[in-house]
Amino acid sequence: MSKPIKCSLCEEAATVHLSQVVHGNVTKVHLCEACAQKGGATDPSVFQLADALTSATPAPTLTCPKCGFTDIDFRKRGRLGCPSCWETFGDALGGLLLKVQHEASHVGRAPAGTMPTGQLRRRLVSARLEMEKAISSEDYEAAARLRDEIAEIEKQLAPL
Amino acid sequence: MSSVEDILAAENELTHLLGAQQAVVLSTRIRLARNLDGMPFPGWAKVPQRKEISDRCVEALDALPKFRRGHVLRMGELGDRDRAVLVERHLVSKELAAGKSGAAVISRDQTCSVMVNEEDHLRIQVVKAGWHLRGTWHIAEQLDDALGGSLKLAFSDRLGYLTACPTNVGTGLRASAMVHLPGLCLAGHMDKVSRALNQDGLAVRGWLGEGTEAAGNVFQISNQQTLGLSEEAILKHLGGWIKNVVEQEWNARRKLAQEEGEKFVDRLARSLGVLRSARLLTSSEAMNMLSHLRLACDMGCLPEERRHLVDRLMIEGQPAHVQARAGQELDSDGRDRRRAAVVREALKDFPEVVPPTA
Repeated sequence: MSKPIKCSLCEEAATVHLSQVVHGNVTKVHLCEACAQKGGATDPSVFQLADALTSATPAPTLTCPKCGFTDIDFRKRGRLGCPSCWETFGDALGGLLLKVQHEASHVGRAPAGTMPTGQLRRRLVSARLEMEKAISSEDYEAAARLRDEIAEIEKQLAPL
Repeated sequence: MSSVEDILAAENELTHLLGAQQAVVLSTRIRLARNLDGMPFPGWAKVPQRKEISDRCVEALDALPKFRRGHVLRMGELGDRDRAVLVERHLVSKELAAGKSGAAVISRDQTCSVMVNEEDHLRIQVVKAGWHLRGTWHIAEQLDDALGGSLKLAFSDRLGYLTACPTNVGTGLRASAMVHLPGLCLAGHMDKVSRALNQDGLAVRGWLGEGTEAAGNVFQISNQQTLGLSEEAILKHLGGWIKNVVEQEWNARRKLAQEEGEKFVDRLARSLGVLRSARLLTSSEAMNMLSHLRLACDMGCLPEERRHLVDRLMIEGQPAHVQARAGQELDSDGRDRRRAAVVREALKDFPEVVPPTA
């Protein structure tokens, strides 16, 4: 008998086998009962998550200096150890984040009292568009005003 | 009286208030994931750390006006049945109920519940009966601001609110609607609708959330992406789709009623007949037949003002609720007998099903 296939997320024997075909490319993920249950194997985002976890090339071991969590722990649990882990594993998680979230940076709310950088970033994008429009319609007064606003926002975002 | 008995006895929007209920959308829910700065996430924290997290969060929550005369429930201090009741009411998740170190702080009117030490330190939840995305969001936003005022929350300029799982980072926002889609299910369109929603970044789940079956044709539709979109954009995206799904559901219902004619009314009338006279009712049988009654109320086959009673029976017909009402543990037959009795009593003066007007 052939050797049982191991779960892509832990070391248990895999009993759930998922195949995904995208434009003729087949990707397969094998999960044990528990991991499949936990993730809800019918949820397509889980597939992407498992996919990202299993296809990633083994990275050098990273350890969070704050809580001792390692990249191996992440592979096992799919959850991080503490808020500081995001700094430690941020770069390593970049690809996974893009896969599950399709975006890499926050544009939403911020805690009361902190700088609303999401709003600033959004304003920056729209101010740049408005400036281009102002220039092409030869409204140089508006363009100059927008240029100053852009410079001000960039200054505020620079230390981040 | 224990706090959980208190919660069961209290009248609240989802089970009692007349007029708040709507056709198709049962409830609107907003969830925000938040964490304390500098503390390990619950799944990685040691027992004393989890205790500290719980104490700090519960203290901060307890001080908020929203939770005045509310409930603080520590999972480790509750029995199995009480925890199951909270899960059935969607006040806490299965995960929180399964652990010992979790707590839930619940507002008196049961619209706000904050889970402490679930996957994240704080899971703020606000639920309103019917479709009220903006109103529900504003309550959550205010709670979030108030909590952010008393607790230092883990936040990064680049990634937003930091969470244990990469699927929640950014806004930490999960907005959802609980929708009742018997028309789309009967017409066999639900798979198609589900796929369309999935492809546009929305998740479709059953009545009790992740990995559960859609008993009673009730589905939960929610956003998946939490990063790189503003809260406003997430709400707008979900709102647009819910409006679309509600429209499709009405189209399916009207078409069914028209095409099936007497058969359509017969199906609803039979369900009322069974519910009114059955001596043993399983949970899923009750859910599926109550779904027909809700459909009948929406379509004018039964008086609309009876709909809240159907919603209440859907919630109170669940296993832990039946046992809690009985005040004792019951085996499967015992529950089915008790459930049938409760439903019979509630429906005894229901009028007959008539042809649709909607």
